[in-house]
Amino acid sequence: MNLQPDDFWTFSEWLLRPGFFLESALLQGIVLIVLAIVLGLIVAYVISSARYGPGEGFFAVARAVRDFLTVDLPGTSPTRIFALSRLAFKEAIRRRVLFVIGLFVVILLLAGWFLNPESDDPARLYISFVLTATNYLMLALALFISAFSLPQDIENRTIYTIVTKPVRATEIVLGRMLGFVAVGTVMLVPMGLASYIFVKRGLDHSHLEVVEAEEIDGRIVGKTDYVRKHFHTFTIEKGETQGLTNFVRGHRHVVTRNDDGSFSIGKPTGQLRARIPDYGEIQFYDRNGEPKEAGIDVGAERLSDGYGSAGISRLIGVAKGARKLEHGYVEGGTLGMAEFTFDNVTADRFPNELPINLSIRAYRSFKGDIESGIRGSLTMKNPGSSAQADPIEFTVEEYQIDEKALPLVRSGTDANGETRDLNVFEDLVSEDGKLQILLKCEDSSQYLGVTKSGLYLRPAESTFEWNLAKAYISIWLQMTMIIAFGVMFSTFLSGPVAMVATAVCVLLGFSAESIYDTRHFIDSNIERGGGPIESLVRLVKQDAMTTQLDVEGVANQLIKSTDAIIIYSMDAIATALPNLPRMVSTAEYAAGGIDIFSAILARHCVATFGYCLLAFLISYFFLKSREIAA
Amino acid sequence: MDNNSTAVADSADENTSGSGSQAAPIATGSSTTASDVVIETRNLSKIYKDFWGRKKVHALKSLDIEVRKGEIFGLLGPNGSGKSTTIKLILGLLFPTSGRVLVFDKDATETKKNEQIGYLPEESYLYQFLNAEETLDFYGRLFDMSGRQRKQRIEELLTLVGLQGARHRQLREYSKGMRRRVGLAQALINDPDLILLDEPTTGLDPIGIREMKDLILALREQGKTVLLCSHQLGDVQDVCDRVAILHQGELKELGRVSDLLKVQDVTEVHVTGLTDEAKKEIAEVIAKHGGDLKSMDNPTATMEDLFLNIVRESEARPGARRVTATADAASESDNAADGSKSGSDE
Ligand SMILES: Nc1ncnc2c1ncn2[C@@H]1O[C@H](COP(=O)(O)OP(=O)(O)OP(=O)(O)O)[C@@H](O)[C@H]1O
Ligand SMILES: [Mg+2]
Repeated sequence: MNLQPDDFWTFSEWLLRPGFFLESALLQGIVLIVLAIVLGLIVAYVISSARYGPGEGFFAVARAVRDFLTVDLPGTSPTRIFALSRLAFKEAIRRRVLFVIGLFVVILLLAGWFLNPESDDPARLYISFVLTATNYLMLALALFISAFSLPQDIENRTIYTIVTKPVRATEIVLGRMLGFVAVGTVMLVPMGLASYIFVKRGLDHSHLEVVEAEEIDGRIVGKTDYVRKHFHTFTIEKGETQGLTNFVRGHRHVVTRNDDGSFSIGKPTGQLRARIPDYGEIQFYDRNGEPKEAGIDVGAERLSDGYGSAGISRLIGVAKGARKLEHGYVEGGTLGMAEFTFDNVTADRFPNELPINLSIRAYRSFKGDIESGIRGSLTMKNPGSSAQADPIEFTVEEYQIDEKALPLVRSGTDANGETRDLNVFEDLVSEDGKLQILLKCEDSSQYLGVTKSGLYLRPAESTFEWNLAKAYISIWLQMTMIIAFGVMFSTFLSGPVAMVATAVCVLLGFSAESIYDTRHFIDSNIERGGGPIESLVRLVKQDAMTTQLDVEGVANQLIKSTDAIIIYSMDAIATALPNLPRMVSTAEYAAGGIDIFSAILARHCVATFGYCLLAFLISYFFLKSREIAA
Repeated sequence: MDNNSTAVADSADENTSGSGSQAAPIATGSSTTASDVVIETRNLSKIYKDFWGRKKVHALKSLDIEVRKGEIFGLLGPNGSGKSTTIKLILGLLFPTSGRVLVFDKDATETKKNEQIGYLPEESYLYQFLNAEETLDFYGRLFDMSGRQRKQRIEELLTLVGLQGARHRQLREYSKGMRRRVGLAQALINDPDLILLDEPTTGLDPIGIREMKDLILALREQGKTVLLCSHQLGDVQDVCDRVAILHQGELKELGRVSDLLKVQDVTEVHVTGLTDEAKKEIAEVIAKHGGDLKSMDNPTATMEDLFLNIVRESEARPGARRVTATADAASESDNAADGSKSGSDE
């Protein structure tokens, strides 16, 4: 998993962006709501002055706003909301949405055949599969249940008997939203449990026997049988009856020696993790030991992406360019390195050792010895003095999380240049609790690539179950958002149209980054195929993307400016929409065995709440101004 | 129980207001102080427009009516004359194209007025997947009624509309009349002061119709105001104090039923136990006074009376079939079909 700069933000950094207020989520939210209100008032005024004349129209709008604040909002009653949401719940259940759970189980059963438990990282495969499947299924379901209900009630005229009771439009909207959220919740819980069982069982396997075992000085060293394309080696220390195997494919087993000398091998453990990472600040140095902003780019690592985190400031053109963080490389056999500085390294947090996880990439500039991997080294260093431990070498394991532990005592050179055993907390951690770890490549002319999230300390661990629950909460939040949008559109559109409108919003939200990307290229005059019309022309003419558009004069101008208008409006809309891909990507944390950051979950919660509020306001005014029986 | 002939006979006395005998004390003052007016429409017009704002139908043209507290007001008119449109405007389901509607002195679009209103729509627009009890419970909750209140009210209403036995069946299994009954029950759940009934008697069996009429009269007795629309002229005549007759969205006639229906120069006499000679003598007396005897017959029972009798008897003695009586009644009603308006008492 490759985290982006905004993944590291704390909740308040995200909300306020100290120093970059234009990028803040708070500003984006405020602008969105203010814009919605202003646009709403203008549209309402235009419509009602067409209906009642300019003077009356103004009063009509003013009255609607006053009624909302003085009558409908205070008059909103929990009893009625509850009654209405119960009705919405029953109605959705009547539509047999619970079949979706059955469908989900069938999907899981089928997936059981296709997902390969013999892959390199089966846990990631299984977890990301169940989460992605649940996610898209729930989004589709939310779309379906929310968009049809209100239009159907209006068409069947069942709404007549409701709006002629003292029911506020606020209650109808909230009742619907809450009812459908309840339906979604009722479905999500069994789906979550089914997923959990599926993952657990899918990853379960047993090694039946020990194929090799020899006793050396009372210590037993052995090897298990070959199951699911892997085997483990294990050791049982002298005088013990139990020992552990090594980690293979993210898991290990307990091996017990029985009284009769045979061995029994336990269940796999450690494959479902929720590591709580502690990231440091990264600093690259080039081959001459000069500090550099980024590592070496070995090509095709910098993708155009990550525009979205700049919020409004990108939309108005203040922030420019992609912000995607990609691997920077350090060259082997030179002074090039990546320096990680960790805060708050204390004996309380790391009583026995420094657990450290690596996920780094290797880049070979020549073939070398293909059998053995590229070697790197880790060096602990005191940022406040020159004390430095001896490097610890390792072989790079690509595309997986490599779990290591640094010892608390290591030989090295202390601040006075003496060589002795250094204690991490006494000699290597500075007064303000900082420790540096240097990552170097040991094979010359080979390269190691890393990002800020590629090397981290792991002071603690959360449970996989809770992490999965957090991933499901994220799905739940997305579902809630879509329900709110669906209900909003259904207050003024017919069922199918409301569903399409919601779906368009979802799709625009998902393709936001490509829209931003296109806009970026239009802004910076780089030929990348242009907007929709230009692309079409190129497609027809079979022109390459990066050439000049081969159309002359006015037509060229026309194409470019129309495209710009289209792209700019899509950009504005996409900026206003929730960033669904980000929410979907929480699944990656769970699949990667990393605890989903509370800050990220909190961000999603607040964003969801904001969008629901917006949808609620819009729904209210549409429903209120709607002539129900027309 | 009343029926049409007594009502008409009563009204022979000029001074008594129509159906005065049943009118509750509250309804006696027919002076129109402002607070007495429950519904007021001022110059109310409605034009149905399509999505693009193009005119489709001019459904209501400058309607001015006042419905006063404690009266039963009838809206009459042929299909498509704007009766339902009027009711929907009063409820705020539609917005007037011009003019105003005031209900309890508030604008019709205000939600708060609904606390005192009960509405029975044209057709029963209810949730098919709920049963009668759940339906009423749901609507009760919409009035923020407490659990105990709801329970008690549901009992009362289910008994009132005669759905005790079917309370746990889903509405989609209900017959049309049964749905209508639930519809009525939900309209009364909040013990409303103003009840709007859009064709209350359609779909009901004759007993249901009779019960509905009795209920409407009973509501008036409790001081409630009822506005109903119907094209069952008989029903309107039976219960309404005042009627407005609409045609193509225009108000054609407005007034007390008794005034509108009274035929000034005809006298009606109902007598029992006369011999044929006596009848002849009476005819002669009439002739002597210059009267023109239009008819003198044995009155035929109305179909309604017949039906009610049969059902009542069958309830008293289940299983027995009243063969002869039915045949008799049938042949009787064949004799004189024109006598239905002057049908006799039971
Ligand atoms: N939603 C609507 N859109 C367009 N026209 C409508 C709508 N509802 C009613 N109308 C028209 O308005 C006129 C009056 O209709 P309304 O329903 O008020 O009649 P009504 O008196 O209740 O008739 P009925 O006795 O058949 O119930 C009719 O011409 C009808 O076609
Ligand atoms: Mg009608």
